[in-house]
Amino acid sequence: MRRAVVLTLAALLCTATLASGAQPDGALSGTGPATGLADSAALRATVFGPRPQDIAPLPATVPLQEINIALPWVRTVPDVFWFDRRLRVWFSAQDKPAPLAIVISGIGSDGNTSKISTLRAALYGAGYHVLTMPSPTFPGFIVSTSSTGVAGDLLQDGRDLYAAMQQIVAHLPRRVQITDIDILGYSLGGANAAIVKSIDAREGKLKIHRAVMINPPVSLFASVFRLDKLFAISIGSGEAGVERLYRRLYTRLANLYRMSERVSTTDTDLLAAAATVLKTDADFSAAIALTFRIALMDMFFAGDLYAGTGVVIDPQHPPRPGDSLEETTRILRGKPFAEYFAKVFAPYYLAHRVNSTPESLKADNRLDVIGATLRSNPDYYAQTNSDDLILDKPELAWLQATLGDRLAVYDHGGHLGNLGERRQIADMLDMLSGRWKEPGQ
Amino acid sequence: MRRAVCIGLTALALSACASQQMSIRNLPPETPAADNAAAIKSAAALAAVATAAAHAATAEDSDHAVVPLTTADAPSMYSYDPWEPMNRLIYRFNARFDEAIYLPVVYDYGHLPAPIRSGVHNFFANLDEVKTIVNYVVQLKPAAGAHSLGRFVINSTLGIGGLFDVATKLKLESEPTGLSSTLSKWGLHPGPYLVLPLLGPSTLRDSIGLLGDFGVAYGINLVGLYRGDKTWGFGIVDAVDQRSNTTFRYYATGSPFEYETVRFLYVHRELIEDDALNAKDRPKERAVGAPAGK
Repeated sequence: MRRAVVLTLAALLCTATLASGAQPDGALSGTGPATGLADSAALRATVFGPRPQDIAPLPATVPLQEINIALPWVRTVPDVFWFDRRLRVWFSAQDKPAPLAIVISGIGSDGNTSKISTLRAALYGAGYHVLTMPSPTFPGFIVSTSSTGVAGDLLQDGRDLYAAMQQIVAHLPRRVQITDIDILGYSLGGANAAIVKSIDAREGKLKIHRAVMINPPVSLFASVFRLDKLFAISIGSGEAGVERLYRRLYTRLANLYRMSERVSTTDTDLLAAAATVLKTDADFSAAIALTFRIALMDMFFAGDLYAGTGVVIDPQHPPRPGDSLEETTRILRGKPFAEYFAKVFAPYYLAHRVNSTPESLKADNRLDVIGATLRSNPDYYAQTNSDDLILDKPELAWLQATLGDRLAVYDHGGHLGNLGERRQIADMLDMLSGRWKEPGQ
Repeated sequence: MRRAVCIGLTALALSACASQQMSIRNLPPETPAADNAAAIKSAAALAAVATAAAHAATAEDSDHAVVPLTTADAPSMYSYDPWEPMNRLIYRFNARFDEAIYLPVVYDYGHLPAPIRSGVHNFFANLDEVKTIVNYVVQLKPAAGAHSLGRFVINSTLGIGGLFDVATKLKLESEPTGLSSTLSKWGLHPGPYLVLPLLGPSTLRDSIGLLGDFGVAYGINLVGLYRGDKTWGFGIVDAVDQRSNTTFRYYATGSPFEYETVRFLYVHRELIEDDALNAKDRPKERAVGAPAGK
C-alpha cells in the first residue's frame, strides 16, 4: 500500500502543478524585480492554484485516449533516452462532429498535467474534441519530435510542434469528425500556440482558426532570467542552498506528521501536506524557482547531449541507461538558464543560423516576432494577470497595446494561479468561440 | 490454470510489441466533477489536521510531548543505494513489463463496472487487515489492534465477506500498518534502496516487511486462498487491483533523472514515516554525511 502511495506521489510531483513556471524571453535582460509584477498573494496563488470551490463547473466524465506516435523525422535516439522514442499526446473525442481544441503545456511539462486536466475538462464540456500536447521543452518531446534537440527557441519549437500536429491529426480515427481547429496554451505553451497559428497562416495545412494564450511570456528569456534571479535570491547559488531548503522542508513536514495523531495518509493528502509547510514568501519563491530549475535540468541535459557542447556530458562517452546520474543532477541543479543559453543554446544556434548574434537570438524569442500579426489579426486572444511574476510593467503594457480588447487582465492569480476559475474558463471559452467582449463593452 | 495464464500473458506481450507508427490506447475516463468535490473535502480535512497539529504543538502535555525535529536531524538528501546497477536494470525491466503486459491488462480490467472493481478492492483490503492486526499486537498497540479487528469483523459480516467497506462508513477508518513499520518501531533503518521485480521501488526493510506479512497471510491461509489451486488466479487479481489503484507510470516524467527522483521520494517518504512513528523519541542518530536510509 505504501508503494502505491509513494508512486502516486511521484506521479503527481512529476507532473508538478507548478511545473508550468515561466519561460518568457529576454530583451529586457531581467533587470526588474525577480518576481516581476507579483506580490505576496500572487506568489501564494502561483503555488497553490485556485481554491477547489472556485473552479468552474466541470463535466462528470471525460473520455481519454493516450496516443503514442513515431515521427518519421526523428533522429537516432540516444540510449539514455530509450523510453522517449515516441511522442505521447492525449486525446478526448466527442461522438459527433465538433471543433478540435489543441492545448500546449507549460515549460518542461507533458500534455497531461493537472492544469491540462482542468482545461481538457472545460473544453470537452463545451463540446470540443481536445488534443493535449507536451511543451516542446519537455524531454519526451525533445527526443521524439524536436528536429534540433536544443529546446527553447520559439520559432524552431513552433515548427516542430506544427509538424507533429499535422501527423497526429492525419492519423486520428476516421470516426472523429473535425469541424474547425483552435489552439491554446498556458505559460510558454501560450506563446507556442500563437507562433504555431502564425506558421499555419502561411502554410495552411491545419487551418487553425483562433488562438488563446493563457499567461504567456512576452520576452521568453527576460522571464526566464527573472526566474534565475528568483532562485539565486530565495535558494542561493549551488548545492548548499538546495540542501538548506531541503532540510527546512523535510523538518517541517516530518514535524507535521509527528504532531498529527495519525501516520497513515493518502497520496493526495501527503502532497497537500507538503504544500502546507510552505508558509512565507521566501518559501513560495523557492518552490517556484526550484520547480523551474528542475524543468531546466532536463532541457539542459538533452540540449548538451544533442548539441555535443560538453557542459555536463562528455560527447565521446555519453551516459548509458545503467549509469548513475546523481552527480550530473547535482551539477545541473546549480546551473541557471543563463548558462544554458551561453553554453548550449547560443553556440548551437549561432552555428546553425546564418548572421545570428546572441542579441538576435534573444530578440527572436520575443512575442513581437509576430507583433504585427497579433496587432491586426482578430483571431488572437490572451488572458493574463496584473500580478503575473513572469511579466514586468512594460511587458504587460506591450500586451495591452498589441492585443487591445482581445486581452483579458485579471487582478489576481499571479502566474496561472487562477487557471480553472469560473471567470477565466468562461472568458477562455468565449474567446475560442469568437463571442468574447471585454466587460463593459 | 497456470498454463492459461502464461498463454494469455504471452499473447498480450506479442500484441503489445507489434510496432506501428501510431497507437491509441483507451484510458479510464477522467471524472473532473467528482475529483473537484473530493478536493474540496480533502482541503477542509487537511486544514483541520494542520490546525490540530499547530494546537498540539502549543499544548504542553508532558507525558505525551512530541520531540520536534531540528534541521540538523534531517537525513541526507542522498539515498543509500549500494546495489544501484542491479536496481536500475530491474527498474528498466519493470518499465517494459508495465508497458507491454501489466498496463494493458489493467486498462481492460478498468472496463468492468465500478461496483465490481470496488468489491474486489475492498475484499483484498479486508484480507490485509489481518496482517495489520497482527502487527499492532506485536507493536504493543492494543487499541489500534482492536480498531482494526473491529473493522475486520464488521466488514467480514455486514460487509459480506469484505466486499463492502461498511466500517469506513461507520467512521472506523482504515489505519494499516505492517511488518516494516514494526521493524521501524524496533529501531531498524530502511537500509539499502531496492527495486523489486514487478513490484517496483522498495527498501531492504520494506522488502523484508512484505515477505514477513505475506508469511503471516500464508500461515493463516484465510479462506484457503493463499495455498492451493486458486492461489495463482487470486494473486493475479490482487496484483491487477493494486496496479489499477496506482497512477504511477514509468517514465511519465520523460526525464533522464527519473530513477534518482523516484528513489529520493521513496526513501524520504519512508524516513518521514519513521520520524512520525517514533514521534515521542529523540530522532534516530544519523551519521553525519551518511546517505539517507543507511
